Amino acid sequence: MIEPTVALYGDAFAKAAAVLEDLIDQAQVRYALLVDRKGFVLVHKEALWAPRPPALDSIATLVAGNAAATQALANLIGEPRFNELVKQGEKQGLYVEEVNDLALLVMIFDNTTPIGRVKLFGKKAVAELDEITRSAVVMPRELGIDKDFQQSADAMLDDLFGN
Amino acid sequence: MSTINFANREINFKIVYYGPGLSGKTTNLKWVYQTVPGDRKGEMVSLATEDERTLFFDFLPVDLGEVKGFKTRFHLYTVPGQVFYNASRKLILRGVDGIVFVADSASNRLRANAESMRNLRENLGEYGLSLENVPMVIQINKRDLPDALPVDMIRAVIDPEARFPVFEAVATEGKGVFEPLKEVSRLVLSKLADGA
Repeated sequence: MIEPTVALYGDAFAKAAAVLEDLIDQAQVRYALLVDRKGFVLVHKEALWAPRPPALDSIATLVAGNAAATQALANLIGEPRFNELVKQGEKQGLYVEEVNDLALLVMIFDNTTPIGRVKLFGKKAVAELDEITRSAVVMPRELGIDKDFQQSADAMLDDLFGN
Repeated sequence: MSTINFANREINFKIVYYGPGLSGKTTNLKWVYQTVPGDRKGEMVSLATEDERTLFFDFLPVDLGEVKGFKTRFHLYTVPGQVFYNASRKLILRGVDGIVFVADSASNRLRANAESMRNLRENLGEYGLSLENVPMVIQINKRDLPDALPVDMIRAVIDPEARFPVFEAVATEGKGVFEPLKEVSRLVLSKLADGA
């Protein structure tokens, strides 16, 4: 609405989805998500063997908030950014890599998967996702939201939040 | 900034609850969470201290439903109100589509309301935004306090030109919680439909 945004659709969405699918196969991770810097999920894919994923909205929000805080920390010590973020628990890990100033790549993996493998294929995917997301930036007025959409949404707001 | 995902046919908006510490931002979100049916909301995430003061943010996704084939969602956030958490507050404003400013009616919080509004303007400015281009409504909360200041007095310090819609509220009882949320959602949609 106010700033340019990443609008993934058509070929761009298919390309990004294909990159994530390849990434899951090659890196052997459970889930791979492309999220924008504001905390919205742009694309996600999961391994066929993976259990139902946790709440992706929450993951995207927390990852984006964490990435923003991490970048602020980097700036405080005079670094432009820290490029990656790894969290490893007893059984699973989470790896976040900057795609660019628009998006982040998130992978959730089992600890049986070597972290080096996750990083290697993560960085390869980032190079492809960088180009895809940059080419998918649109201005708000190009989103296609019109008066019809607004009127329909208005009625639903009454329904959800009361008259 | 709203995010659209044509392949999944989703459109998402980010609404941020802003205001001084203890004005009731988290209480608003908790009321929405308690009231909205289970199939229309996601998990509420609260990053708070042990004494339930917001440390980073609260987050609640709410599904409006399908609008013209697009699953439409509002992502509601609160910021930490305490003055020294400004670095976190600024981060949450990234990509904001609309703001609910939650003011405190207590007589000793008039200055805090004014300072929070000034802080909001400054933080928006860091993203090249201003209250001229971000839809905002004001909720004047805690109207049940015995020493609640008159609405006009509070408005005079946070919105002297009377530019923004104002709603009185007692968020702990759910009064005046949904009206400002609905109004800011409408303003956001209207701005988009106008091609702003």
